[in-house]
Amino acid sequence: MTEISKTSSGLKGLVCPDTESTEVDIHQDGVEMIKSLCYFCHANCGVLAYVKDGDVIKIEGDPNYSSQGGLCCRGTSALLHVNHPARINHVLKRVGEKGEGKWEQIPYDQGIQEVAERLNQIKAESGAEAVASAGGTTRTDDWARRRFLNQFGTPNGFHNALLCWIPTFMAETCVAGWSPFETDLGGAKCLILWGMNPGASTLGGMNGYTDLQKAGMKIIVVDPRYSETASKADMWLPLRPGTDAALALAMLHTIIYEGLYDFQFVNDWCDGFDELREHVKGYTPEWAAPITWLDAEQIRAAARTYATNRPGCIQWGCTWDQIGRASTTGSHAIALIRAICGNLDVPGGDGMPGPSLGFLTDEEMEANECLPEEQKAKQIGSNKFKLTSWPGYQIISDNARRTWGKTLPTEWFCEAHGPSVFKAILTGDPYRVRALIVNATNPVNSYGDAKMTLAALKQCEFLVTVDYWMTPTALFSDYVFPAAGALERPTIVTHYGATDSFMGGRRAIQPKYDRHTDMVFWRKLGLACGQDPAMWPWETEEEAYYHILKPLGLPISNYNEFVDRVRMYYPPLHQNKYITNGGFWTPSGKVECNSSILRELGYAGMPTYVGCCENEIDTPEIAEEYPIVLTTGGGFMPYHHSEHFQMQGIRYLYPDPYFSLNPELAEKLNIKYGDWCWIETRRGRIKMRANVEPEVHPNVVFAPRGWWFPERDGSADLDNPFGCLESNVNVLTSVDDWDCDPMGGSWANRGLMCKVYKCGEFDKEYKKSDTQFSIPGSAKEPGIHMKPSEMKLDREPIPFEKPQPEIEVPEGYEWVWQNNTLYQKGTHFRLDESGWLINPRTKGYHDAYTGWRYDSASECLVDDETGKMYTMEREEIPFLAGVRCYPGQDAPYEVPEQLTWNKEKGFAQLGDKPYVYDPNSGWMLDPETGAYHDAYYGWLYDAATANLVDEATGKRYDMSYAPIEE
Amino acid sequence: MTRYVMVIDQRRCIGCHSCTVACRTWNKLPLDIVYNPVVTEGAQGTWPNVHKTWTPTLCMHCANPECVPCCPSGASQQDEDGTVWVDPKKCLSCKVCVNACPYGMRDASKLEDRMHRFVRKCTFCRDKRQLDPSAQPYCVLTCHQKARIFGDLDDPNSEVSKIIGSVKTERLFEEFGTDPQIYYIPDLGGKA
Repeated sequence: MTEISKTSSGLKGLVCPDTESTEVDIHQDGVEMIKSLCYFCHANCGVLAYVKDGDVIKIEGDPNYSSQGGLCCRGTSALLHVNHPARINHVLKRVGEKGEGKWEQIPYDQGIQEVAERLNQIKAESGAEAVASAGGTTRTDDWARRRFLNQFGTPNGFHNALLCWIPTFMAETCVAGWSPFETDLGGAKCLILWGMNPGASTLGGMNGYTDLQKAGMKIIVVDPRYSETASKADMWLPLRPGTDAALALAMLHTIIYEGLYDFQFVNDWCDGFDELREHVKGYTPEWAAPITWLDAEQIRAAARTYATNRPGCIQWGCTWDQIGRASTTGSHAIALIRAICGNLDVPGGDGMPGPSLGFLTDEEMEANECLPEEQKAKQIGSNKFKLTSWPGYQIISDNARRTWGKTLPTEWFCEAHGPSVFKAILTGDPYRVRALIVNATNPVNSYGDAKMTLAALKQCEFLVTVDYWMTPTALFSDYVFPAAGALERPTIVTHYGATDSFMGGRRAIQPKYDRHTDMVFWRKLGLACGQDPAMWPWETEEEAYYHILKPLGLPISNYNEFVDRVRMYYPPLHQNKYITNGGFWTPSGKVECNSSILRELGYAGMPTYVGCCENEIDTPEIAEEYPIVLTTGGGFMPYHHSEHFQMQGIRYLYPDPYFSLNPELAEKLNIKYGDWCWIETRRGRIKMRANVEPEVHPNVVFAPRGWWFPERDGSADLDNPFGCLESNVNVLTSVDDWDCDPMGGSWANRGLMCKVYKCGEFDKEYKKSDTQFSIPGSAKEPGIHMKPSEMKLDREPIPFEKPQPEIEVPEGYEWVWQNNTLYQKGTHFRLDESGWLINPRTKGYHDAYTGWRYDSASECLVDDETGKMYTMEREEIPFLAGVRCYPGQDAPYEVPEQLTWNKEKGFAQLGDKPYVYDPNSGWMLDPETGAYHDAYYGWLYDAATANLVDEATGKRYDMSYAPIEE
Repeated sequence: MTRYVMVIDQRRCIGCHSCTVACRTWNKLPLDIVYNPVVTEGAQGTWPNVHKTWTPTLCMHCANPECVPCCPSGASQQDEDGTVWVDPKKCLSCKVCVNACPYGMRDASKLEDRMHRFVRKCTFCRDKRQLDPSAQPYCVLTCHQKARIFGDLDDPNSEVSKIIGSVKTERLFEEFGTDPQIYYIPDLGGKA
């Protein structure tokens, strides 16, 4: 029995004992260089790993990758990460009480077997939906989890996706048919970095921005903090945190009413623009000024700069999805700004890649067909936050199949609402979630309302964690599985299955100890749960990735070869696709200024202002007690989310949590640099040290995310294990339903109201009372005061009645109300006026009765599944020896005079010989053997000697029929 | 002749500390030693009229170093290419050089056994360049922003020569007469 209670990183391992050269010689014999990718954030920079005797001896940035050889502190520390003494290396089974930290080390397969038995038992007793799975930021594919969950039958998989891109993606897809997220900066004249700080989050990107800025591109930064990026900007808009929606609407107003939009584009490609113009009438810059704390002129200047410097890009920023109830309003307005300025899908604008039509998408790897319809309906949160769960996903996905021919993954884009699952564990509403598999996340630090989340994890009947470290979540688990990390796993970049490019890196070494990659974990668990082995044909990621890449037809025979030879796969760049495609990928084929999909889901089709959940104007009573504006959630160096706090070689840069406040506010509150202070919202309070710096507004504080203290003994304080609550900003955030975005479900991280005060002499310890949760989070007393089902959303659904079909809908077809068109169910092919079905992906014509593809070259129908060909009368075309026959017809080609046309069999033959004449090659083919015979004498062609042989006499002839003497 | 120098473009630096960590990782430094700290005073000014710059530092590899002649054991020395370094085998850890350096860019680790302590400092990755003369220091290679540029000042075609010959650069504490060989392109506000 091993007792793991303390995590301490080994100082000794970091100190070089000898004083000789510290340099590792990568040119020595036996060193192999492997092209890998960094795995510590979403940028996935290129890494070259030097491997000797199965171990990595050194890594460096890959100068030939898009990151140009750069590696940040995290990437550089990959070797320390692999060999860190605090890593979990074996399966740990709990033997003491939950949280006690007493574990038994067991073999991997035994752990899998025991977990599978328990999961199957829970499924039998309470249904598959009683098992849920929480994820973090698996970078960047996670289809294996969904493949497991779908086959298991539970719809309750989720990630932190609702705080990161997904609600924005879905809103943008409702507007234009796909998210325009791939900025084509090379030709852009203006770039807005909105709620994004690449100077501390995606350093590889920042390098490119700086170069382009030098070449003349204007950069506008929207950030309440004077961030690393803002310090390099041409224009900086320091708005009040959480008011992005007001700023976006005012910019939209300016662009429309000053006539700065692209008239031609709006005229040709935008639907409902007049309604939009009327709708945003009131959202003037003067209206937005007091909300955003910006000057009306500042807002106008930003709008004019963007609209008059075309083409331009707006880079998505995490902020858009972290403002709670106002999130999607803002991103919806931003989507319209770029659309009406004509920046969609044009060179130098915001590219819309669409799903990969070449390699397999993540969606095709997820086995979504395995999840029964009745289970989809049980997805927690899907009755409220419809845009990012099954109801909205189904509509958007069906539309994508009709327009692109492929669709979005369900992973990330169609998930249970994470906080609602934690509430379901605690309250049993709408039903009790009994088991939770936590992989690649530490929900206490990453999800909203940390106190409630921690309580749910403690109370969860069966908790399984897959992680590198003993996190607070792992501490309360029944089983902890060791995860393989950077350098131990191949890494691919396909932007969560939403793009058509593919970048890959190899694993440098096999996972050490008993660590396994995520896919292997889910596969083994699936098989142990009794899933069909045929559904899990790939034993390693490399096999699966090769399967994904195969349709590209690249000259590769395995995944590693792809990395060595291709590494970065980009399909030919197609811009202005909406023109060649004949429209945008929305139901109407236009940019929908008044989105029909959103209306169908019961939401407003145009962005309608709502303030962030706590602010001085809408909630003055809260602002009175909590007068300071708090913003949380931004990324900062050197950490990523809640990772890397263990690693001393990084931690020394930022050993304690510091929040920023303006010197003016600090003076008012009598706070000095380095003082420990309390930050308190209606939901709880945390302690951080003060960084007194004028990088924020005098009434704003900025608190960094993710803090916990892995160096502490977790089991010593089970109310606050590893200090995971005491400096954790998620104690302050809100996941109450009325504070969440009614469309996408994002909870509120930004623009909250708080108060700040110095830790007093008798009030400096984090007490038990500080750790008690309540539902709703803003309740004054701890405990459960309200069932989740009683919690209302900020906005009531807007009733929408779907129009009835104006035309008769034949069986097997569905009618789409927006464009009054029939589509075949299943294939989602459009029924054309000509009576043919049209495949959106290939634009090919298909027979409406059989689905066979029309082949114009041979004027026939082809069944692509079997490869068989049919006449236009749908009769199978017979082939003899690979030659097409025309039984009962006259010869469709000129028959050489020495041959005769056999009308009954439909081919030309030589005398009574059984050979078939092939008009393409001019040879006769033997249907029995496939051998070639000449068309004058029927002599056999001998490929070895390139002679003709008269089989009757055995005599040989050359190709001009001259006899060859033996 | 060869004269190694470094140019630091403060217009590009965003203070990510990657150089610091790359240096400490590959030079295997004890936790209390940093060769090349990135210094910032934070945002300056009054909100919202503020500005922030970062100053990446390292040993200035002075042409006229204070730290070499003062060394009693001859451990602290300078190569012909300008690299100032300390031979651990000769170093007594008397720290005279530590006090002599006006930039505070050298120290001995307190985490090491007293008898095995020696003064450590940036050597422009001398070990690495001995194995591969064309190699660049780790802090230069790892920088996403390409804010550190290393090269030979005596080679008129090198990037550093071209920059120093064309852009206004500054050096730290020139008034001490040490003739430091780290050239800064200051960030005066605005874009790079």
